[in-house]
Amino acid sequence: MNQNGCHSRRHFLQRSAFCLGGLGALSLLEQDGLLAKPVDFQSQHFDMLPKVPGVRPRARAMISMFMQGGPSQIDLFEPKPELDKRNGQKFVGDIKYDDAAHASTTLMASPWKFQKHGQCGTEVSELLPHFSQIVDEVTLLRGMQTGVSNHGQGIYAMQTGGILAGRPTIGSWLSYALGSETRDLPAYVALTDPRGLPVLGVANWTQGWLPSLYQGTAVRSQEPRMPNLDPAPHLKGEAQGRYLDFLGGLNAEHLSAHPGETDLEARIASYELAGRMQLAAKEALDISGESEATKKLYGIDNPVSAEFGTRCLIARRLVERGVRFVQLFTANQTWDHHKGIIGGLPAACQYVDQGAAALVLDLKQRGLLDSTVVHWGGEMGRLPVIQYDGGRDVVGRDHNTYGFSMWVAGGGFKAGLAYGETDEFGHKAVKDIVTHRDYHATLLHLFGFDHTKLTFQRNGVPMALTDNQGGRIVQEILA
Amino acid sequence: MELRRPQRSLGTLASALLVGVLGLGLSCNLVSGAAAVLEGKAEGGAARPLTFERDIRPILKHHCVHCHGEGDKLKGALDVRLRRFLVEPHGKDGSMAVIPGKPQESELLSLVREGEMPPKGKKLTALEIATLERWIGEGAVTARPEPTDVPKVYLTEEDREYWAFQPIQRPVIPSLEGFDKLKNPVDRFIGARLREVGVEFNPEASRATLIRRVAFDLTGLTPTQEQVLEFEADTAPDAYERMVERFLASPHYGERWARHWLDIAGYADSDGYNDADTVRPWAYHYRDYVIRSLNADKPMNRFIQEQLAGDEMVTGPLKNLSQADVDRLAATGFLRMVPDGTAGTPASEQTTARNAVIAETLKVVSTSLLGMSVGCAQCHDHKHDPIPQRDYYQIRAIFEPGFDTEHWRNASARQVSLMTEAERTQSAAIEEEAKLIDARRKKREEELIDLVLGWELKAKPEEVRELLRLAYRTPLKERTPEQSKLLKEHPTVNQLSGSSLYLYDRTYNTKHEAELKKIADEAAEVRKKKPVEIFLPVFNEAPVAIKTPPSTALFHRGDPMNPREKVEPGELSILAAFQPASFVPERTLPSGTGRRTVFAQYLTSGRHPLVSRVLVNRVWHHLFGRGIVATPADFGRQGERPSHPELLDWLASEFVERGWSLKELHRLMMGSATYKQSALRSAEKDGKDPDNHLFARAIVRRMDAEALRDSMLLVSGKLNRKMFGAPVPVMLDVDGQVVLGVDTTDTAGRPSGKVVPLNGEEYRRSLYVQMRRSRPLGMLETFDLPKMEPNCEARSASTVAPQSLSLMNSQFSLSQSRLLAERVSREAGDESEARVRMAWRLVLVRDATEDEVQKSVVFLKSQTATLRAALEKPVAVSSSAEKPAAAAKASEPLHPEIAALATLCQALFSSNGFLYVD
Repeated sequence: MNQNGCHSRRHFLQRSAFCLGGLGALSLLEQDGLLAKPVDFQSQHFDMLPKVPGVRPRARAMISMFMQGGPSQIDLFEPKPELDKRNGQKFVGDIKYDDAAHASTTLMASPWKFQKHGQCGTEVSELLPHFSQIVDEVTLLRGMQTGVSNHGQGIYAMQTGGILAGRPTIGSWLSYALGSETRDLPAYVALTDPRGLPVLGVANWTQGWLPSLYQGTAVRSQEPRMPNLDPAPHLKGEAQGRYLDFLGGLNAEHLSAHPGETDLEARIASYELAGRMQLAAKEALDISGESEATKKLYGIDNPVSAEFGTRCLIARRLVERGVRFVQLFTANQTWDHHKGIIGGLPAACQYVDQGAAALVLDLKQRGLLDSTVVHWGGEMGRLPVIQYDGGRDVVGRDHNTYGFSMWVAGGGFKAGLAYGETDEFGHKAVKDIVTHRDYHATLLHLFGFDHTKLTFQRNGVPMALTDNQGGRIVQEILA
Repeated sequence: MELRRPQRSLGTLASALLVGVLGLGLSCNLVSGAAAVLEGKAEGGAARPLTFERDIRPILKHHCVHCHGEGDKLKGALDVRLRRFLVEPHGKDGSMAVIPGKPQESELLSLVREGEMPPKGKKLTALEIATLERWIGEGAVTARPEPTDVPKVYLTEEDREYWAFQPIQRPVIPSLEGFDKLKNPVDRFIGARLREVGVEFNPEASRATLIRRVAFDLTGLTPTQEQVLEFEADTAPDAYERMVERFLASPHYGERWARHWLDIAGYADSDGYNDADTVRPWAYHYRDYVIRSLNADKPMNRFIQEQLAGDEMVTGPLKNLSQADVDRLAATGFLRMVPDGTAGTPASEQTTARNAVIAETLKVVSTSLLGMSVGCAQCHDHKHDPIPQRDYYQIRAIFEPGFDTEHWRNASARQVSLMTEAERTQSAAIEEEAKLIDARRKKREEELIDLVLGWELKAKPEEVRELLRLAYRTPLKERTPEQSKLLKEHPTVNQLSGSSLYLYDRTYNTKHEAELKKIADEAAEVRKKKPVEIFLPVFNEAPVAIKTPPSTALFHRGDPMNPREKVEPGELSILAAFQPASFVPERTLPSGTGRRTVFAQYLTSGRHPLVSRVLVNRVWHHLFGRGIVATPADFGRQGERPSHPELLDWLASEFVERGWSLKELHRLMMGSATYKQSALRSAEKDGKDPDNHLFARAIVRRMDAEALRDSMLLVSGKLNRKMFGAPVPVMLDVDGQVVLGVDTTDTAGRPSGKVVPLNGEEYRRSLYVQMRRSRPLGMLETFDLPKMEPNCEARSASTVAPQSLSLMNSQFSLSQSRLLAERVSREAGDESEARVRMAWRLVLVRDATEDEVQKSVVFLKSQTATLRAALEKPVAVSSSAEKPAAAAKASEPLHPEIAALATLCQALFSSNGFLYVD
């Protein structure tokens, strides 16, 4: 049988989905197919029709804020009194350094104060005043661990479940598993930072070996926002309109000389659909109609928080319109504070804190939080010892993949919980450890899937996000 | 044996048509049942009784035999392979599956009707159940007495009667009144059928349409102005034939038809299978071999022989090879095309990975040459075609010595160096020179480590300095626990090494990294002087396999971990009458077991019932938009029946008689009135033959991805006609789109901003674009570029919005439109009218009507005004990281008139008149 389906009906359907270099919406051929269908992962038929998972799902969409570089858990999410006490003393345990030339064994207490917040009383650093206001809505995971080596591997582990390149990202899995609920927008959107791409670039939204229609679509915060979606600047508006009218005339005449050729009619219709998609994307990405109160909530009135806040608001608008998975990135390695953490960390926090917290509040007030998973976190944390031991202006912290924090909210996660902890120095996770595999298994569970059964046949082998490498559904953090 | 030909009566034709139409509309499973019942009615006029062999066995084979007959154990002690077993008591309760004449009491019927059987998988269709019921009701008869035992390879008369297994006949060319005008035999066969239905050929298409069709079919490009003018000026009666000859002689002919062959061969420039999708830098030798062979009109029998066994034609050692031998070896790339992940697969998964390579190769061989889905018999007897599982392994045995799973060779061990001995000596001398520099670098590195160590120690308290130095200098295994502890407390000393030296540059403001790199660069510079070693991927047999050919075993349920009885080389059992007695050659060959040589000779003997039919059908498929068999890679029961079986046979025999020449076949087919018809539909024909099964008109086809891209390049004047060699590289741009370019991302995967100029390579034909399985060029993928997993049997042509968006907004579409506008303004002068007329001729290959010219002139006027205003507005420049890679290249300011003309050109490029070929 023809597995690549280059001529079969199956291929025809696969092709009919919106898969232009990663745009993942639906085609006009599926307009009448918007009824959800049960999932059948044995079939080799790929489309973007919405699908019903086997087990009752809690979540139907997800927004992930990926904080590349490794936010310092010791300075943001997990107070360590013992570390405070031993500030300046030598650390005696084993440590894996990334940059040994500037390493030290001198312990450094967090320079920032922690305080209890909300009814749950979770302690949060003063660097995150907005996050402090939403602790009652989130599950803070303090015992995260990947145990892998560097940024690249850590990012792959968190995003794709494995440490090597080439695997599909979470967003691709969800698109594959659930399809799309909109036909005019991509199912999976990556909102990049105008200051630069994250490390690993486009691999952050790759579909790996899944069919290419499950690739994420990178949407820039400025025009042109999507590949091939926006006209060139000088053609925008009237010029493209006139071109399309002229083209319409050409095609109409051609069709009249080819009566009965339905394919020609379908192509004429496909230009109309393309036009609708341009409008839909433009509308979804345009926040001018949002109220002043909403913009203020996201910090769009403040130059420091405006950019990230805008993208958070766009993420909400996309999810409202049926987009399955949205991921926001920060530029390069914003959180990679090897050096100068005392100046750098507060700046990184101010950039994202308000927008991230506003997203949770806004989703809640619109009744979307219950069905939308929100995630905030990076691929690692930081060490309790000083790197660049040369005074207040230069001190930093090196990588730590054995213990870090991140938070999740909505979509069936418990509200107002802090789960897991690292050792007394904030070095290695020791209690209620959640690995990237546990996290993925739990996520898929909330979307109604058994992570061992949501598979894709590759070379005759069923491949999964967690790849039979374990992966525990962390029941304790489920609402 | 005689071909079963439909009698020339309207009734038979109508029913044949009905089958054909149903076959298209229904799923494959339905077809077998439906066709069986319908045929049953058709042949005798009245319904003939259903028989087990013809009507029932196909259903049971499909749904039941896997558990009830095929395996080691019989589920419920029921065997359905013979009718006899069905009416015998079986199982503990001694029940009978079928009680002849009593369908309502037959267990078989109630179980399938209730949906209890089959327990898993697809249920029987209503039609299949009805067929079972009727058969039992009629007495559950067989066509003839059944064998006493079920033979290992059980093929019935009905199996043998299947059309595709009959010897190729040379039918008499139909001769009817009025046919004397139809000189081309193709037209006689097509015309005879048309006459039966009462339909005429469409009139001949216009000259403009014809040259466009021929150019597209033979070169995959739109015709140039010069070609069109030459044809238009030729008033000789054979102007058309001479035009066809010119395209046949074009070097682009070989490129176009190579693309077709490379599809079915599954050509790719990467390994696939694993995530790494490692690049195959030398795969292009095979691509170039195919182009050269087709341009030279190498007879197809020779072409096939070389691809299957070219290595066995080379007798000497694989050194200082002649060009002829290089060609023969390059040809075997055919057997090296499929995904191969064995180089990057752990030992525990090697068996699976190696087996996949062999299975995929067999799939390519069988779909391309046999037109049979032999791969379906890998795990069990083929459910629809008479291909026992054993056959699959017989064919595998032909290739087994070349693969040899016991002594597996990775890609690197399967290539031959084209370097001469003299070049090798020269290379070795240069390597010696470079090694001296390597040693110098190493020495300097040691000195620098020593230096940095000294500085690091100086910063330590005096009392630990010497202890630390001693600990550092003590080899790891000999260190005392105290020494290890001390080092751990001082990580900056502990971790100092050649690989971390660069990190200390920042501490001491030194440039050690740069200094060492300079020496390393020197060595690299020296090594660059080496003669470039070119490798040729080859499929051949290693001496160990030639001496003791590895055995082939039938894998139980296809599982390579579960081998059963051994099998000998052979082809399909159903073709036993055509096969050589043995697949071992009479004379031993120095370079192989000769199994593939015998196989290739047998396939190309001209007597093989499938090979030449499959080849001519494939050519027909490409020229007429649909094959005589509409499923060009499946001539089996799951495929379509031939619409014109006599024509297919006549062409197949003619092809062999004319020396297996592809170009001759083109002349024959393209010289026919059938080919030259217009594509115009009529209500009358659509009523009688909506899907044009009778070829009573030409089919309107969308240009495939490559033809579209290449034609745009040609029209814009940018096409780089360079042939052969290493492919044009692809890379990911900042959006994750696959574009042409050299990947310059840094080790962290971020774009470095560096742009390596492609120097015109970016304008080469799409055939030369790197076909990396995981990175199909975005523009081509949007227009249905197939995935090579492992090959593509026939292209599809979808119509989706992303294609429209690509034509509307993509960088490629915009830049080609602008280039065309610049060309037109350069060549047609300043007058709008002249520009419009020229654009029309270049893109649509016809003259614009007066109305079109006037509308275009009005369009240009208002568009120029709009764009003048738009281009004066300053455009916000986005940050560099956000800029699309292609746009990063500085573009010259755009003149409003050119910009307006570019949108007109873009409209022509986006129009159906360009995208479709009549």
